[in-house]
Amino acid sequence: MATATDTTDTSPDERVPGETGMWFFVLFESLIFTSYFCVYLYFRTQDEGAFLEAQSALRLPLGIVDTIVLLTSSWAIARSVQEARAGRPAAARRLAFVTIGLGAAFSALKLVEWAHLIGDGHTFTSSDFMQHYFFLTGMHAVHLLIGLVALGILVHQLADPHRRSQETIETCATYWHTVDLYWVLIFAVLYIVR
Amino acid sequence: MATTSTETTTSTSSRLRTFVAWLLLVAVTVIYLGIDHSADDGGTLVASTAVTVSAVLLALVKVRIIMRELMDVRHAPPFLRRLTDLLVAVIGVSLLATYFVGQAIA
Amino acid sequence: MSIVSNLRADPKRELWFAWYSTVAFYSLYSVVFFGLTRTQPPGKPWLEPEQTVEWFAGRQDGLLVGFALIFVLGGWSATAIALIAYSIRRMSVSRAFAYSYLVLYLIAAVPGFLFICVAMTVGAMRPERSPEAQQWLYDLGFLSFSGTMGVFLVGSLIWMTAILLDKNRVFPRWFGYLNLCNALTEVVIAPSWIFQRGVLAWDGVIAWWIDVAVFGTYTGVFIYLLREVIVRDDFGRGPLPDAPPGRPRRWHPLAKVVR
Repeated sequence: MATATDTTDTSPDERVPGETGMWFFVLFESLIFTSYFCVYLYFRTQDEGAFLEAQSALRLPLGIVDTIVLLTSSWAIARSVQEARAGRPAAARRLAFVTIGLGAAFSALKLVEWAHLIGDGHTFTSSDFMQHYFFLTGMHAVHLLIGLVALGILVHQLADPHRRSQETIETCATYWHTVDLYWVLIFAVLYIVR
Repeated sequence: MATTSTETTTSTSSRLRTFVAWLLLVAVTVIYLGIDHSADDGGTLVASTAVTVSAVLLALVKVRIIMRELMDVRHAPPFLRRLTDLLVAVIGVSLLATYFVGQAIA
Repeated sequence: MSIVSNLRADPKRELWFAWYSTVAFYSLYSVVFFGLTRTQPPGKPWLEPEQTVEWFAGRQDGLLVGFALIFVLGGWSATAIALIAYSIRRMSVSRAFAYSYLVLYLIAAVPGFLFICVAMTVGAMRPERSPEAQQWLYDLGFLSFSGTMGVFLVGSLIWMTAILLDKNRVFPRWFGYLNLCNALTEVVIAPSWIFQRGVLAWDGVIAWWIDVAVFGTYTGVFIYLLREVIVRDDFGRGPLPDAPPGRPRRWHPLAKVVR
């Protein structure tokens, strides 16, 4: 198990992970998403019956799987950053590819879920709940696509020792974590909240 | 940027910690299954303040774990740690306040 | 030193003129759209013809006077766009970024800005026009205003990319990311034509109110940052120096020229 010298992590203390500017984005965008959630919650309380009825079309197991996929992708990219910091770029790249794969898997699951809902007659305009559902999951999907670009930049950084920058790698990873973060909130608010 | 020779021992503890964080997050996610079924009337969805509040609180717990452990805020300067905690509080207060105010108005 | 000799001597006088014009233009825009014409916040979508006639009647004088001001002074918006394009050219990235931004915004200004002015003025001009025609003008005005957001969205992304690639530190990197936030909120307005009511309609809480809050913040921030760029500018090609400490807070016509 742990040795006597095993008291510290490789990450030096008191460092901002990645660029400070990216954390500004995380905070600001989180506030914007929170405002979207508040709008949803408010309108939900004004028309609970209709919202509940439309919400029953969602399948919880699928939502749970979606959440676990993204949580795992966050785990993978966090590990990738650790490996990069420890000077093991090859391992970091493998984990970054795992993250990309999980992101792609989530997108596929989302498309399947949307297709099923639309097939059952639940579209963007069929009900207020579905309007919020497709809007929130759609915005999240846009964030995810941008996240895949960020991961691509991260992988590109890892490929060449001359252009590798730990700060850029951590910045891209921080962005990816927001994709997971917002999904955690979306899942709770759309799938569970009654 | 020199790599240290302690990397094999030090990264084991951070690897384990990251894995435990993931495990905890998945466990909290699975708890949702229980919460979700508790309020429903055999397939029909039923409105429930208890479910709503616990859903939001659990989400906040997950958000904080993701930020602290996976996004490495644990090792960030105090201003960022406090700022992210403040964010979690703002999200929680906003969501719950909107819900309760909306309920009162309806 | 007289004002005139100061003006002649200051190499940044055109930049300062452009900046003050930017402030003046956005102020004019706010007063006209929100105060005089009351076209912002927008009217409800999917109004019946008779309702649109009422809408025009309630704002007739404001529409005519307000948009007349825009027709005369609207060209002033060019200075804001030009200043931003100048700041992008000062970056280490390809000039293509600055030119794309310029072209994009100039193209977007016609449908995104002038259409609503023309449509609403035409509607206010002849109140006795048929209600169906008034409804048509109403829809055209508001839809062109919101439906063209996609163009501005791309503009934000161009500016963001330029900032993140820039090695001359013209803008702080967090502003690059703020461009991304702005672009993302603009995504939501484009499909507003689908919704007759609700949060995503062109007057909706999400499509208008939250979006304007973000856009307003973004505009205030970039006006401030453009000022910083002008203060720091050394007309070179390399990284922009930091602002000198204790500099005069405003360009004053009687202040000594600092160069």
